Amino acid sequence: MTVMDVAVGTRIGELTVSLTRARLVRYAGASTDFNPIHWSDRAAAALGLDGVIAHGMLTMGTALRVVTDWVGDPAAVRRYSARFTRPVVVPDDDLGVEVHCVGTVSAADEDTVTVTIVVRCRDEVVLGAVTAVVSRGDLP
Amino acid sequence: MPITDAHVGRTYPPTAPYEVSAAKIVEFAAALSDDNPAYAGDAPTAPPTFVAVIGAAAWDALFADTELDLSLQRVVHADQSFVWHRPLRTGDVVTGVLSIDKVRCRGAMEIVGVTVRLRTLDGEPVADSSSTFIHTRAS
Repeated sequence: MTVMDVAVGTRIGELTVSLTRARLVRYAGASTDFNPIHWSDRAAAALGLDGVIAHGMLTMGTALRVVTDWVGDPAAVRRYSARFTRPVVVPDDDLGVEVHCVGTVSAADEDTVTVTIVVRCRDEVVLGAVTAVVSRGDLP
Repeated sequence: MPITDAHVGRTYPPTAPYEVSAAKIVEFAAALSDDNPAYAGDAPTAPPTFVAVIGAAAWDALFADTELDLSLQRVVHADQSFVWHRPLRTGDVVTGVLSIDKVRCRGAMEIVGVTVRLRTLDGEPVADSSSTFIHTRAS
């Protein structure tokens, strides 16, 4: 199956990643988002959170891999949006927490394909309305 | 005086020019555990959400604006939307311009929408990053 002949409802891929405190520290450095709620339990508790939470952008950026692994060329991505509906609390242990992403084609026209991604953690949806639009014109 | 809807429309000066390097692209892709070959080699393309790096620099203006009295550590990201006009690539030199789009105050919670527009130094649009965040004011 190629991206060109894809039908609405097609499941394009899935991905499970483990988010650990070490990964959050790495993402903080790479993204330069040093909000302490992503590394300090004290700062997280001050906002009423149950512990250090993953950067929304880490979860969102990770979920987009479902799309870019499918299309191959990340330059095809034209739009991407999500709501951060539930915080992803990351425990201070070696296992971290698993985030599971499933992408399905939700719309397609002559120029673009829209993928909706369901992102779950601990059996709850953590990102809402996750949609990525890819341009067919950029695809091989 | 804290942030109010009177600040909607406020736009900050462009961030200092940021040159996208292969090394930073590799670092960012590794942070996402993303081994897409587009992010490797001598002149890689940046992962789409790399835009957040320049976005973070643009957000600094918001937290440095004493009139708004916002604190990064009291902020939780609520939603995010990106539009790419073209991919960001090694060697691009870009700036980000942040504007405040909306402000809603509900008790101690301030819901703030901002957009960061990334442009090359020649003014070519690269990407727009719109975010809503919730700032909880300390009592």
